[in-house]
Amino acid sequence: MSAPTLTPADAADTAAAPSAAASLLRKLVATPEAGVVLACVVAFIAFSSSAHTYYSTANLQVMGRDLAQFGILAVGESFVILTGGIDLSVGGLAGLAGILAGWFNVTHGMPGPVAIAATLLVCAGVGYWHGTMVNKLNVPPFVITLVTFTVCKGLALSITSGTPITGLSNIFGDLSLYYAGPVPIPALIFVGVCVAAWFLLERTYVGRQIYAVGGNAEAARLAGIPTRRRVTSTYVISSTLAGLVGILIIGRLGVADPSVAGSGYELTAIAAAVVGGVSLFGGEGRIVGIAAGAILLEFISNGLLALNVNEYYQTVAQGVVLGVAILADRIRAQYFGGNRR
Amino acid sequence: MTVEPTLERSVTPLGRAVIARLRGVHKTYGPVRVLDLPELDLYAGQVVGVVGENGAGKSTLMGTLAGSVRRDAGEIEIDGHQLAPGSTAESARLGVALVSQEFPLVGQLSVAENLLLGRRPADSRRRVVVDRGAQRRAAEAMLAAIGLDPASIPVRRAVRELPVPARQLIEIAKGWGRDPRLLILDEPTSSLGPVEARLVLDLARRAAGQDKAVLFIGHRLDEVRAIADRIIVLRNGRLVADLAPEEASEDRLIREMVGNEVAHSTPKTAPTGTPTLLEISGLTADGLGPVDLTVREGEILGVAGLMGSGRSRLIHTIAGAQPATGGSMRLGGRPYAPKNPGQGTDAGIAMIPEDRKQQSLVLFAPIRDNVTISILRRISRRGILGPRRVRSAATAITDNVKVRMQSVDQPIGSLSGGNQQRAIFGRAFAAGPRLLLLDEPTRGVDVGAKAEIYELIDRAAESGMAVVAASSELEELLWICHRIAVMHRGRVAAVLERADATKESIMTAAATGQAVQTRNELNGNPT
Repeated sequence: MSAPTLTPADAADTAAAPSAAASLLRKLVATPEAGVVLACVVAFIAFSSSAHTYYSTANLQVMGRDLAQFGILAVGESFVILTGGIDLSVGGLAGLAGILAGWFNVTHGMPGPVAIAATLLVCAGVGYWHGTMVNKLNVPPFVITLVTFTVCKGLALSITSGTPITGLSNIFGDLSLYYAGPVPIPALIFVGVCVAAWFLLERTYVGRQIYAVGGNAEAARLAGIPTRRRVTSTYVISSTLAGLVGILIIGRLGVADPSVAGSGYELTAIAAAVVGGVSLFGGEGRIVGIAAGAILLEFISNGLLALNVNEYYQTVAQGVVLGVAILADRIRAQYFGGNRR
Repeated sequence: MTVEPTLERSVTPLGRAVIARLRGVHKTYGPVRVLDLPELDLYAGQVVGVVGENGAGKSTLMGTLAGSVRRDAGEIEIDGHQLAPGSTAESARLGVALVSQEFPLVGQLSVAENLLLGRRPADSRRRVVVDRGAQRRAAEAMLAAIGLDPASIPVRRAVRELPVPARQLIEIAKGWGRDPRLLILDEPTSSLGPVEARLVLDLARRAAGQDKAVLFIGHRLDEVRAIADRIIVLRNGRLVADLAPEEASEDRLIREMVGNEVAHSTPKTAPTGTPTLLEISGLTADGLGPVDLTVREGEILGVAGLMGSGRSRLIHTIAGAQPATGGSMRLGGRPYAPKNPGQGTDAGIAMIPEDRKQQSLVLFAPIRDNVTISILRRISRRGILGPRRVRSAATAITDNVKVRMQSVDQPIGSLSGGNQQRAIFGRAFAAGPRLLLLDEPTRGVDVGAKAEIYELIDRAAESGMAVVAASSELEELLWICHRIAVMHRGRVAAVLERADATKESIMTAAATGQAVQTRNELNGNPT
């Protein structure tokens, strides 16, 4: 039997044949993550040239710590978004996790590591609960995680009666304040989380199946993938990482303070994911982009601080960045994205 | 996957083993029995062609075997193993592979990942981590197994970047790669060019050569006749003919598909002397055209055609719900080029779409709000709507079309399908349209209620509206229409006057794209 040759939309390849450089450029433009990475570089150079303190070691260390906080949240959030869901609870849960860890540690006298493990376990349980509600009872992810967010904020205040918990074990400070060489430990944790998430998503069957569930749940189900288990696992990952962030926050402050507990972080996390090219419809987005998205947002917010921009305008600037990112992504998708929604 | 039978295979007079044995399988949706098969055996080494009109039960039969449709009763054995109803996993385990037309593929993932979705490549030694090399090799082998040059479909590419024919071939490779005992192909060639179609037909023959059973659902009769060892015809969910290829002439098949019932109405006489309302010339749109048609006031024009022939597209393009890419339309003598359905409504067009639940109604909202949404401006006073006005307008509308209900305040979802559909007609009439567009006007409506819908359509025409009705049910078209346009691959293949229209003449034009003389004309016998 003769093998017919079918030409699948090869126009791109043949049209951009003139030079390898042109086709590489084209490939870069067509890659969703390239724009964000480039924007990171541009932002860093621009801020560095206008404010000398910007690239000082001290400031870079500050940025590393900030990044660890909402960057890790963004990675967790992205898992949920990849399945087409959303997790609004991460900020509130991070806050509660910090309080819980302090409460376990100080009020109940648990040793530091045990308190941390217990906190992470509670958070994982919360994620499992989210997944179960979404899968079994078809509760919209938006709603169920908003419930958790609200409860978390209230619980954090009621556990502590509004007063910060002091006298934490050293382990919390060790995690947050120490350095490996010039690099703060939290920044290393962020890198570790990114690498682990990348490996899980790109190199394991479970990860590829998460993409499949988000991309076409019906196809995944028909192919025999346990779709519910995959979805639940993403909520567990998101909540557990939120717990980790909560622990890093109290370590950095030295107290478990319910009034500063992670509010608004969820929106920054979602913004970082979207800027990094994660589709809110699910099934699309890579860790490189998510990390770059988080880094870009940190570069910009810290940069505006270094330039002494009025604090009120900083939020406006963040909104503009998000708007530009979404716009650029849509335009790119129109030209290169095939059937991308 | 090969499942070793635990029971002894029964052997037929042909000397072939039975692969699938169906006994007393039936399935009912609401009042309609869509599948009723007392007995059907599929043998190893045979390609069985399945033909039938739209709604004859072909898809239900496939779904029942593949587990995506849960049968109401009956037993299915695959290789002697009982098949539990309604489980795709169970069907796959027993070796049933369905290649569907809907391509359940994940667009964002690569071809290789789609081909191996939900399983590991056989030679991968890693359990958790993806062995990409093995995955790629397995995918290329799967493509090669169906006779494709692996270079023609790059397995690393995301599926959504590939054209539809390539996706169809991937879907086929996916089914083939499971090494099924029973391979079900659902109109596999409808999206393919001649070369790839040839490949798929060869593949079906090859499957039979390897002692698999093949169920080949075909839309083109010549293709089915060329490939099948046996052709079964379904009509209204029943098996009405089981033919050897040499018995199955195209004429015979069409006759079996449409049945021998005479049309139960005397043909209506078309209104004469009324002015032309809609004039379509050279109209094109995505998957449609060029189309030329005219409709007069008071006339009911039917639109027939097979699935995907462009029936709905034509209706949608006239309504402005799908952009026209060329040609022109005139409505009541004026140029008419709607950019959106709103402009269509403004020009005096009302459309009743195919899917009541998705496209027409807010099911949980009260009847009063559902029937008044197109006339809110008219019944409001300076933009303000009083509840009493809405209720009285809604009562007038529902009385006009005789919706049976307790009150206009109950949710419309609590009404029967027929009553919902009448309410939608009432809503369309309330806007006072000149042209009424219908897409499957009686879908999901039981038989008694259908007649009442037909009365409403007649009433609309008698009041001077022009009606264009697309339907997959030939009886329905023959019952309601003055003229019938038959679509084939986006074009109008024939326009039949009611006196010339029979199920056979419509089916022939729809299947072949050519208007042929009807049997009656050949016999010199006008209906």
